[in-house]
Amino acid sequence: MLAFVLRRVAAGVALIGVISLLSYTLLSIPHLDVGRQLLGQNAPQELVDAKNAALGLDRPVAVRYLDWLGAALRGDFGTSWFTSENVLQAIANRLPVTLSLMIGVTVITALLSFVLGVWAGVRRGVVDRFVQVFAVLGYALPGFLVTLVIVLVFAVELGWFPAIGYIGMGESLTGWLSTITLPILALSVGSVAGVAQQVRGSVIDVLRQDYIRTLRARGLPPWRIVLRHVLRNASAPALAVLGMQFVGLLGGAVLVEQIFGLPGLGSMTVGYTTRGDIPVIMALVMVTVVGVIVINLVTDLLIGWLNPKARLR
Amino acid sequence: MRLVRHPLGLVSGLLLAAIVLAVLLAPVLSPADPGAASLRQAFEGPAAGHPLGFDSAGRDILARILYGGQNTLGGAIIALAVGLALGVPSGLLAGYYGGWFDSAATWLVNLVMALPAMVVLLASRAILGSTVWVLMVVLGFLVAPSFFRLVRGIVAGVRGELYVDAARVAGLSDLRIVSRHVLIVVRAPIIIQVALVAGIAIGLQAGLEFLGIGSGSEPTWGAMLNEAFKNIQRAPLLMLWPGLALGLTSGALVLLAAALRDVLEDRGRSDPAPPAVPEEAPDEPDEPGAAGERAGLLSVRGLAVAYGAREVVRGVDLDVREGEIVGLVGESGSGKTQTAFSVLGILPEGGRVARGSITVAGREIVGLPERAHRELRGTVIAYVPQEPMSNLDPAFTVGSQLVEPLRAKLGLGRAEARRRALDLLRQVEIADPERVFRSYPHEISGGMAQRVLIAGAMACEPRLLIADEPTTALDVRVQAEILGLLRRLQRDSGLGVLLVTHNLGVVADLCDRVAVMSEGRIVESGPVEQVLHAPREPYTRRLLAAVLDGAPAREPLEAAPDHAPDQAPDQAPDHERLEAP
Amino acid sequence: MKKFAALAALLTSAVVLAGCSGGQAGPATGSAAPATLSLATMTLPMSLDSKDANGSALPFFQAVYDTLVKREPDGAFSPMLATEWAYDEARTTLTLTLRTGVKFDDGTPFDAKAVKANLERFAKGGGGQAGTLADLESVEVVDDSHVKLKLKQPNPALLYYLSDAAGLMANPAEFAKGEALKTAPSGTGPYDLDQGQTVIGTKWVFKRAPGYWGAKLPYDTITISYFDNETAIVNGIKTGQLNAALIQDADQQIAVEAHPKVKTVKQEFDVQGLLLFDRAGLVTPELKDPRVRQALNHAIDRQTMLSKIRQGRGTVTSQLFGPSAKAYQPELDNAYPFDQAKARALLKEAGLEGGFTLKLPRIPAIVSEALAASLQTDFGAVGVKLVWEDLDQGSAVQRIFRDRAYSGMVMNNGQSPIDWVVVKEMVLPGLFNMFGYTDDTVKSLAPRIQKSDDPADLKKLNAHLVEQAWFVPFYRMTYLHVSDGSVAITPQDGMAVPAIYNYAPAK
Repeated sequence: MLAFVLRRVAAGVALIGVISLLSYTLLSIPHLDVGRQLLGQNAPQELVDAKNAALGLDRPVAVRYLDWLGAALRGDFGTSWFTSENVLQAIANRLPVTLSLMIGVTVITALLSFVLGVWAGVRRGVVDRFVQVFAVLGYALPGFLVTLVIVLVFAVELGWFPAIGYIGMGESLTGWLSTITLPILALSVGSVAGVAQQVRGSVIDVLRQDYIRTLRARGLPPWRIVLRHVLRNASAPALAVLGMQFVGLLGGAVLVEQIFGLPGLGSMTVGYTTRGDIPVIMALVMVTVVGVIVINLVTDLLIGWLNPKARLR
Repeated sequence: MRLVRHPLGLVSGLLLAAIVLAVLLAPVLSPADPGAASLRQAFEGPAAGHPLGFDSAGRDILARILYGGQNTLGGAIIALAVGLALGVPSGLLAGYYGGWFDSAATWLVNLVMALPAMVVLLASRAILGSTVWVLMVVLGFLVAPSFFRLVRGIVAGVRGELYVDAARVAGLSDLRIVSRHVLIVVRAPIIIQVALVAGIAIGLQAGLEFLGIGSGSEPTWGAMLNEAFKNIQRAPLLMLWPGLALGLTSGALVLLAAALRDVLEDRGRSDPAPPAVPEEAPDEPDEPGAAGERAGLLSVRGLAVAYGAREVVRGVDLDVREGEIVGLVGESGSGKTQTAFSVLGILPEGGRVARGSITVAGREIVGLPERAHRELRGTVIAYVPQEPMSNLDPAFTVGSQLVEPLRAKLGLGRAEARRRALDLLRQVEIADPERVFRSYPHEISGGMAQRVLIAGAMACEPRLLIADEPTTALDVRVQAEILGLLRRLQRDSGLGVLLVTHNLGVVADLCDRVAVMSEGRIVESGPVEQVLHAPREPYTRRLLAAVLDGAPAREPLEAAPDHAPDQAPDQAPDHERLEAP
Repeated sequence: MKKFAALAALLTSAVVLAGCSGGQAGPATGSAAPATLSLATMTLPMSLDSKDANGSALPFFQAVYDTLVKREPDGAFSPMLATEWAYDEARTTLTLTLRTGVKFDDGTPFDAKAVKANLERFAKGGGGQAGTLADLESVEVVDDSHVKLKLKQPNPALLYYLSDAAGLMANPAEFAKGEALKTAPSGTGPYDLDQGQTVIGTKWVFKRAPGYWGAKLPYDTITISYFDNETAIVNGIKTGQLNAALIQDADQQIAVEAHPKVKTVKQEFDVQGLLLFDRAGLVTPELKDPRVRQALNHAIDRQTMLSKIRQGRGTVTSQLFGPSAKAYQPELDNAYPFDQAKARALLKEAGLEGGFTLKLPRIPAIVSEALAASLQTDFGAVGVKLVWEDLDQGSAVQRIFRDRAYSGMVMNNGQSPIDWVVVKEMVLPGLFNMFGYTDDTVKSLAPRIQKSDDPADLKKLNAHLVEQAWFVPFYRMTYLHVSDGSVAITPQDGMAVPAIYNYAPAK
């Protein structure tokens, strides 16, 4: 187990190295004239060239990458080209927003999709249809429409929640809750729909297993069989999906962050990438990589815990 | 196609087919060129030749929906194809072989997952241009990990399953095992995932349009929706058609996936028993004594089990007395397992006792509320299943599975239950109870597992044991041991045993009386000696003759895969046939 | 500076110019002294160092720095850090009289040396507006309160520049400290940046500066929050979380107007149109013929475009100069009526009966689908095949300005009230005349305008540009200053974003 984790960590370090190189190279492919973007159209070309040179953009990609790598290894991720903010500070400011969203949505998704999925899988019939319809609706409705309706109804019309902005958990717990509730709700609709469907499938599979019949034959109460045996066995595939979903949320958060005006990593990724703010993006990439490695490791460990046979050596 | 009989599947399938057909026929169906704009007509409603009206640029909405569908659906298919082609085979191999391939593939997948999509997308667009196809290929790469992880996780889970091991021992090539046995297990989750990913691919297009990095000027449903979104105040109805197209398509995909899954996985259910024999009035069996006095422990009279309108058990009379072992024999699908399940009250979904009476220890259980019936299970009636490995929950240790009924049914404390469980393991002649107690099912042998199951059945000191082919899945040496164990337990505790089997040898060896079943009814019953040596019924004679003609003793390993856990519980094993004593 | 909307469009990820505006924070009572003004913007300032000041980010800088000259909402210049100014005969020397007794936060006095240091640093500092001081030859310190700005040649826009980015006065004591000013700006302005509460890139908080030399502004605190889309801004205004903002998108304007509490002020600022760079026909030879350019002007149906694409929010025009410019002539707004027959005839005259292909870049944030499709249709109707090349925001800049790959582009152009700014940036070779085309009329008029800024010359030039069809303008777009009802916003002439001095509690 420890060896497994260590091996994964080593693989992770290699991953970080390769990803940083790949990303840096990919980032230099689109010709984003950073100097021109910074200074505007009405700046003379000499100024633009000077700006690009000042940013080191006149040097070969390989050299710039090595420079970046050297600095990054020392913990220096530089400052944003477009806002002059310290990159680490910028990420530290925005990470809690997106993490709040992702964790919130994942918890809600895990809870709701298990309840709905198990319910539908066990009861079938009308309940099943209901969950299916919900899943279809959650899936079929365009995300931005759901988000817009949620903002308009709960924030603008009813005024129960603020329509925009984010309040840190450290600043005010209730403020945090009030600003994060609607975004989480908006993001959860689609994700619950998807995972519930997967849970339902797994539950039906498990219910069909021989050992469930044997457990029934032992006279165990159905709730106990469902809660203990069905749930645990159905969790592994659902967890894999949930883990993927968690990583995917970083992308999915973009739209919700934009509509709710949340200063998170999602909208940051889009904005800074389109502009080509390499120092910021590279740091973002590093955060993402570490996140993905950790999530995948945790998912694997959890699945191993749930399913001893799949335990990884 | 059973899908046709699945209402949701039928509706969603038809809907999807209609959408695809309409989109394919876009050149024929379109009233106009999808790019032809007449700004003067922008936002206008339906007009002659333009049934859905005009969009914000004065283009025909119907034409754009149809042509946009080509890009949207085509793009989604590309994304799926790329994702499946990359994710599924690598997931299968990584899960099946594990080891370095798994590590390498997992590492690569982490790489793909961690690569920032925006960066990749912008770079690919810079190289390849900004079309919906580029976007979708990139998306295909990005969704491949979800297939990989899904498949790998499940395959790693079944890697050690008995039937896979068995197939391997039987000398099947890895390729064949993977394609025949492993692929089946991952099929359903993949199908659901495909529908979900198709939905995501379609939805993501809209999302990327929203961010201004969409499909360029090619029409797609996502682009249309985004365009509508930008004019949501001026003309909210613009959302309707692309929204409907997107919604119906992804909704239908999800429903179709669920239906497909159900159909693929429910093969067993729709065929829970052999085709019913022509309906006749249940004739009263003429077993001497049967109709008259009823045995104290188990007495079945006129039992019929039906699935819907179809009767698979059609008037069974059966008696088991205290301390007696009764064999219930018959060919595969003769209804013996259904009879046993009726007594236990664990008929599969859709099955019910249609007629008749079952008394256990003098108590009528037909019509008994489930709760009361459940009280009897474990404490009065117990069950030993056929396939030892699949009847233990792989996620829990042997010990915890033994302890659970002790605590739940008998209300024992933790320590007491543990002591009793170890006792039970000793009783079933397990040499190292402590070790087995701590083991997971996949860590013990089949014979050991069957002992554990017997121990589990005996845990609450039942009076009637129903053993359904308890030795069929075991090799010959172990069979004998298990039979010996059953006999000893029965003698020690004065159990009544109903032994469901197709093995006349076992019957001759173990049973006091035997009942022969065919086509849902008992054709002959009586003392073993009499039935085996002087059968009265032609059917019994045929049965015996067939066995003595030297049919193969059993198909040992080849058959094992058919016990794959995806098999419906009520489906009788194919290799079940009569064996010579 | 305020000028180029498209620049901002390229800088910010969403729509065109950055929006910005404000309102009062507190409850909508508006009677008590409002504590906070909460503004929204879609512009990210590259830094808060005065030398990096640019276009629509100006409010960030106005909070912390003062300019030498103040520009009133109507465009008139009034004293700020400079109390008087005067040109010499040749208009190549500008003498400024400076306000005395003004100190920076650390006690460094604001004086002529500070002005010299700031102007020189700005001109060489590599900021986007550094070019506005390109004509500045030297700065001469006369005494503590007087400086002379010597110019290489007359520049009619100089005072304007001194009321804008180039006129921002930072504490010269900070200049030696490397990059300090970027995140810790230091000026004589009415507010100080509250670094504790500011999250760069998200929200900037400015607290009233103690002992500000000038008249107090009505708000104790101003916060400027960054958004990358107007939907969030509109929702924030509706719920009162934002006090004021600028809304450019027509659909969002409809959304925000509908709310009962919201108050709006209209302003026509950007002109949207097709700028034809390639009048020499280097990329698209056909464009060399003025008749072809005129044909393009006749081919498009401006009125329909305005009513459908901008939902009628604006005024059609055929000239680049706006109503507050001296060169503006109302009759030129309709110089090119929609007349496709005439367009075809012109093309025929030019020997292009068979039509030709025009390739233009399309940046989705500027060129909506409706605009793209309708131009394609209208041009197509007269035989010009319009091909759009889709570009991502960032790479567009490179392709258009560095590679000079296109004959023109559709942009949103801020209309400067200072004619010289338009002449220099749009007409003379350079910037938006990247192929360097000119003609005799321009060559003769431009120097005279530079020297005297004579309205007659300007009108002549404008008429010439329209007649020669240098551009294909569509319409001036109405932008909406909106507030949650607690703030009265006074639009700033010639600038989409109001100065921070233009907000007051609503009565």
